Amino acid sequence: MRSTVPPIDCHAALDRLYEYLDDELTPEIEAAVRDHLARCTRCFGRFDFERSYLVFLETRARTRGAPADLKRRILAELFTPNGR
Amino acid sequence: METCVSGRCDGPRNLATALPAGQWALRSLERHAILRIAHRSESLVPDTQDDPRRTFEREALPHLDAVYRVALRLSGEAAEAEDLTQETMLKAFRAWHQFQQGTNARAWLLTILRHTFINQYRRGKHQERQIDIAHVEQFTVFQDVQDADPEGTFFDRIVDDEVVRAIDALPEEFRETVVLSDVEGLAYAEIADVIGVPVGTVKSRLYRGRQLLQKALYDYAVEMGYITRKTAP
Repeated sequence: MRSTVPPIDCHAALDRLYEYLDDELTPEIEAAVRDHLARCTRCFGRFDFERSYLVFLETRARTRGAPADLKRRILAELFTPNGR
Repeated sequence: METCVSGRCDGPRNLATALPAGQWALRSLERHAILRIAHRSESLVPDTQDDPRRTFEREALPHLDAVYRVALRLSGEAAEAEDLTQETMLKAFRAWHQFQQGTNARAWLLTILRHTFINQYRRGKHQERQIDIAHVEQFTVFQDVQDADPEGTFFDRIVDDEVVRAIDALPEEFRETVVLSDVEGLAYAEIADVIGVPVGTVKSRLYRGRQLLQKALYDYAVEMGYITRKTAP
């Protein structure tokens, strides 16, 4: 069964690139973009590239957290009965 | 007393409930709580008590790493980022009764962090550069690399430190939007709340910020010989 979503062109799909990857579209528009990507190799390539890049960015920038000593100090201040 | 679900430490299952008794050595409690954060273990038992320490520990403390990372990106100095993180967590704990259950605790903490940074730490330090969004160069990395490396595998050769350096080099308004979105995973509406701007502004800053950062990382990859530039710079 064909979807009832009106087809969109490359320009309209690219306009929604980030909102699509960020999961910020309404279900209808998201379906329209997905439908376009299924038919358009060129746009699919671009979307795939940007998605991979965002995964790379998140992975690289999230490797480090707060130093253990800082966590220890914060916990001591928060949960020591005599503390604040 | 229940034991930790992680099975990797011997402390009580819940730090806060154990505290009033005061029987546990602080060191052991801290160790337990630190390990819990490290394990990212979730309490499997639904809360029947509303001890604020217990809910704060369960809902806010797991975001300590995120608070620190954003503090570091905002401030640029490790020592200041530590102070900012500590102050943010203490303020948050004191204001915990104002937190709306069911909303994103990470976004709430980052809002407190940002206010603290702007009101107490920035104080005329690096001036906020006003960027005219319309004049930011339009450039799409994909157009340059789609023939040579359409999947962008050259990015994977860039190490963590270089990625962080490139983020730090972004103008502030783009840097904070990119960090909140792409590193800490906040939704557009949450970022809008944290920064105090309309969602449309978040979108446009994110669009330009991502372009700028991607271009900077691409330039670095070219410089390192990970990929050959197609067009003249």
